[in-house]
Amino acid sequence: MVKTMTQLMTEDGIRCDGRRLDELRNISIKVGVLKNADGSAYIEFGKNKILAGVFGPRDVHPKHMANPDSGILRCRYHMSPFSVTERKNPAPSRREIEISKVIKEALQPAVILKDYPRTVIDVFIEVLQADGGSRCAALDAAAVALADAGIPMRDLVSACAAGKVADRIVLDVNNEEDQEGQADMPVALMPNIGKVTLLQLDGMLKPEEFKTCMQTALVGCKRVYEVQRKALMEKYFQNGEQ
Amino acid sequence: MMDVKRRYVIPGDVIATGPLRPEQNVYQDGDRMISTCVGISEIFENSVKVIPLTGGYMPKTNDLVIGKVIGTSPLSWEFDINSCFVGFLPAQDVFGRDYSPTKDELRQRLDIGDLVATRIANFDRSRDPLLTVQDRDLGKIESGELVEISPSKVPRLIGKRGSMIQTIEMATKAIITIGQNGWIVISCDDSEGLLKAVEAVKMIDALAHTPNLTERVKSMLGVPDGENNDTIND
Amino acid sequence: MNSQILDQLKRDKILDLLKTGKRIDGRTLDEQRPLIIETGVIPKANGSARVKLGNTEIITGVKIQPDKPFPDLGDKGILICTAEILPLADPNAEPGPPNEEVIELARVVDRGIRETEMIDLHQLVLIEDKSVIGMFIDSSVIDSGGNLFDACSYASVAGILSCTVPKWEIKDDAPVLVEGITSKPPIKTLPVSVTMARIGDYIIVDPTKDEESCMDGRITITTNSDGNICAVQKGGSDGFTAEQLLQCAETALTVGRKIRKQFEQLM
Repeated sequence: MVKTMTQLMTEDGIRCDGRRLDELRNISIKVGVLKNADGSAYIEFGKNKILAGVFGPRDVHPKHMANPDSGILRCRYHMSPFSVTERKNPAPSRREIEISKVIKEALQPAVILKDYPRTVIDVFIEVLQADGGSRCAALDAAAVALADAGIPMRDLVSACAAGKVADRIVLDVNNEEDQEGQADMPVALMPNIGKVTLLQLDGMLKPEEFKTCMQTALVGCKRVYEVQRKALMEKYFQNGEQ
Repeated sequence: MMDVKRRYVIPGDVIATGPLRPEQNVYQDGDRMISTCVGISEIFENSVKVIPLTGGYMPKTNDLVIGKVIGTSPLSWEFDINSCFVGFLPAQDVFGRDYSPTKDELRQRLDIGDLVATRIANFDRSRDPLLTVQDRDLGKIESGELVEISPSKVPRLIGKRGSMIQTIEMATKAIITIGQNGWIVISCDDSEGLLKAVEAVKMIDALAHTPNLTERVKSMLGVPDGENNDTIND
Repeated sequence: MNSQILDQLKRDKILDLLKTGKRIDGRTLDEQRPLIIETGVIPKANGSARVKLGNTEIITGVKIQPDKPFPDLGDKGILICTAEILPLADPNAEPGPPNEEVIELARVVDRGIRETEMIDLHQLVLIEDKSVIGMFIDSSVIDSGGNLFDACSYASVAGILSCTVPKWEIKDDAPVLVEGITSKPPIKTLPVSVTMARIGDYIIVDPTKDEESCMDGRITITTNSDGNICAVQKGGSDGFTAEQLLQCAETALTVGRKIRKQFEQLM
């Protein structure tokens, strides 16, 4: 069943879930939700429900993978069989393996690995319910879980996607918009340092649209950063009062 | 005495700008001093550091740590010191330079599972930390209950000039050995006192950075307020 | 080898306490940890549950979709239970294809639900021998604190109890979804699994991770609403006496009745 352009967006720019062009879905983050993991975070980003757990720094097995000068970062992004509309086989798909790599590379510039030679920091992400933009939401949870584990970081990493739907640039693409829209661009940013550590594009954008889309996503990243910050403050500093 | 400026920070937060010296958990980007962890930043005189509120134990030379023997290799014992790095105690530290003990002799002195109060003799990240038991007060701990707390809570357990730990020891008659690695050994002849001491230590681990912690601990121990009022921050 | 010695010290400490009738967390020998069940946590799935049993936490999702029947079983729907220990659940869990421990866990949970005949599979047929309804009950361990068998079983049962089955009608010999109509699953009985561990001569119910690491044997017994014993799995590297096993069966029935009441509240 294909949605027509008018169903994805009205004349006045109201999207299929009632949002305006520059509106983010609801985000909530809980820090330190697991007992075994060294650090953890649970995020609800729209209908995405994602759990991130961090172990480390810890010994590397097999030993030949260890780096004598620096720690290494490993990342696994995995979707639960019940997380998507049609039940998914639990074995990792090529898509999950690619996303695992892209998320790892988005976190790498932020994590100070030289402090922990010969060790590994493992980041495990499980998508319990998926709804468009799950890799950005996963990254947002992973960054918070790393901070919760006390892994030294140069900055947090905040991610958000923008896209083109019904010929307009929108912030934070949901599932229907991802499937029926014209472009989807996930972006991740180290907010204080100002470096982009994840950028992908699926779809077609004119050069002007590319610029607007990226700028829109970066604004979204900064708004997500505020939610991540508030979540950490609430866990560690109760009401965050100085 | 200059004021210490304190602030809650998360990784990436700019603590200050200007000619300051970055110390623990702070790095410099241009002239910005940036926190690398979740914690409390302190600007004191001309240096900046962050006291972390989370994270495992990172060994530091001269730290007193409680270690658990997990194995032996030729001429040394291997220790779990609650860190991603394994601690090594050379046999010659105990037997002297001229004696090469056998594996059995090593195990007779310190066996697997033994808890030992030890000091970090050297650690520079290029290899695993080296331990020593050569001071008085170091060595095998014969009896006592091991309690694990987050290493970042250890300063709070000690208290300003040792006030918190003294309060607990006096109220419970327990002897408490504190490892900087978050491992604490509590010995007490009285089982009631032991339970109270363990509870007090666990309470500090759970509530370290909440206000009124000292009062709550004292109230749990049954100590009247007004005694021992020195605390880090209340 | 060294970790065996450390486990031995832990075991000595646990046995000393058991002699006084107590366990490290203060429970008596036949006491379970508090069980918290929450359903509907994954709204997009047909059913879901989140279970906390002490420090063990499981999330289970139920997906219901049309499927081909197994050959020779054309008059029955499909029911498949799986379990996975997520790498974020335990420092020793490794990502990758399931090892023998995880496969045993999944198969025991599956047998517990299948052998008790919790679901009337005959009512899940769309076109006999051609098209049936398939129910997939997938459990993910998100925090490992001991006794994954019972926790996964409870989460699976709760997920099934709270699920809604969509309606399909047959058009041109194929199932077509009818939007907006759902029904409750055809439930015949409530299976309850109870796991016990033997340490020395003592049998304890609902072992923690520490207790499991030094146990001599383990047994999981699943009973149904009629008080029948439907599935049993003995695990661990040592044995039980026949007497101990009969005692375990009694305990499984007694403890099982208490848990069943909690399930009944979900219906």
